[in-house]
Amino acid sequence: MLLGSPLRAEEINIYFKTSPKVEFLRPYADPAILSLLVTAADGRALERGSVKIRLDAPKSGGFFSTDFPFVEGTRLTELRLPLRQGRANWKYLFPIRGEYNLFVEVESADGKKAGKDFQIKINENGYKWFLLGGFCLGLFLFGFVAGRVFTAIGRKASLVVLITVLALVRNEVSVLEAQEPAKVVGTVRLEIDPATVGKPTRVRWSMDDGGLGAKSMIALTLTITHLEESKVIFAVERVPVAGEFAMTFQFVDGSEHSVVAVAELRGQAPVRTEHRVSVTAVEPPATAAIPAIALFLFVIALGLGTGRWSKLRLAKR
Amino acid sequence: MERTKGARLGIALSERLSFLIKSGIFLSICGATLFIALASSYPAVRDTLHKVRHSLAVVPCH
Repeated sequence: MLLGSPLRAEEINIYFKTSPKVEFLRPYADPAILSLLVTAADGRALERGSVKIRLDAPKSGGFFSTDFPFVEGTRLTELRLPLRQGRANWKYLFPIRGEYNLFVEVESADGKKAGKDFQIKINENGYKWFLLGGFCLGLFLFGFVAGRVFTAIGRKASLVVLITVLALVRNEVSVLEAQEPAKVVGTVRLEIDPATVGKPTRVRWSMDDGGLGAKSMIALTLTITHLEESKVIFAVERVPVAGEFAMTFQFVDGSEHSVVAVAELRGQAPVRTEHRVSVTAVEPPATAAIPAIALFLFVIALGLGTGRWSKLRLAKR
Repeated sequence: MERTKGARLGIALSERLSFLIKSGIFLSICGATLFIALASSYPAVRDTLHKVRHSLAVVPCH
């Protein structure tokens, strides 16, 4: 799918596409390849320049929450990529359903700037709706049976004593590492600020001046992987950088991630740097689940009423 | 409508009121169970039902 955006057609055109197509993307399934194509007015790719990319998460959907309520409406990532033959590509795993906003600002080598917003609508996994429906059906049947049991016809009714032992709720705040120390491998540094769910984290890779030399020739591959799920959640491949690459990135899951940077220089062996990031989890307040619980209770109550109605109807015959 | 007799307590409840009381207790217990299963931060429950919460699409997890 190509989301074209003839932006000030006389100067710069920006095109955006995803692979696979947007309609096939699902939250937290597989990472998508996001591609930008920037052309000049004559249709030829912009040879030199850079794009500033800013991705914002969908705003809160209203009554019901997504899996990651702290992520809703927040900045997910912000980075600048150089254009190669008018193109810039990166991988990203969309964490939640909803409409994302991607802002792209192009700066050509001669200083011309152009910006454009793109909306990316990610639909929820179909099987999740199926499971939700099945769960609600189960609750309805549960309520239906209870409704029939609680309705006394032709005999003395008695109050049913229901005893359930409930576990105590204990709040526990997960406090993980407060600071991720910079990891230095030779002349290469990979610095990552303390990561907390809901807040963008600064990620910076750099190579010292006295390093392996030929800074302008560095092709950097940066990959962020969710270790528990073994999923790549962000990646840029062989981006030409001049000794430094920085971006802000939000880790949306409070678990361990791996950030791997591989720097390739002409005539040199690749320099690999890896950094483990323990992301501080932020649990949503218990009240965030109230809409969902209210829905489930409503379904049970509906089952209760239907069960009673069916039993009374049978008794009248 | 038949009346419910609480013989021991010496009170009589209409069948409809009896149903409402039973349903109220039943829904309260269901609500508490759902709250503990889906919204509590008790680690044993939270970790066990982690995938269930994600699977239900409308239950917040992180």
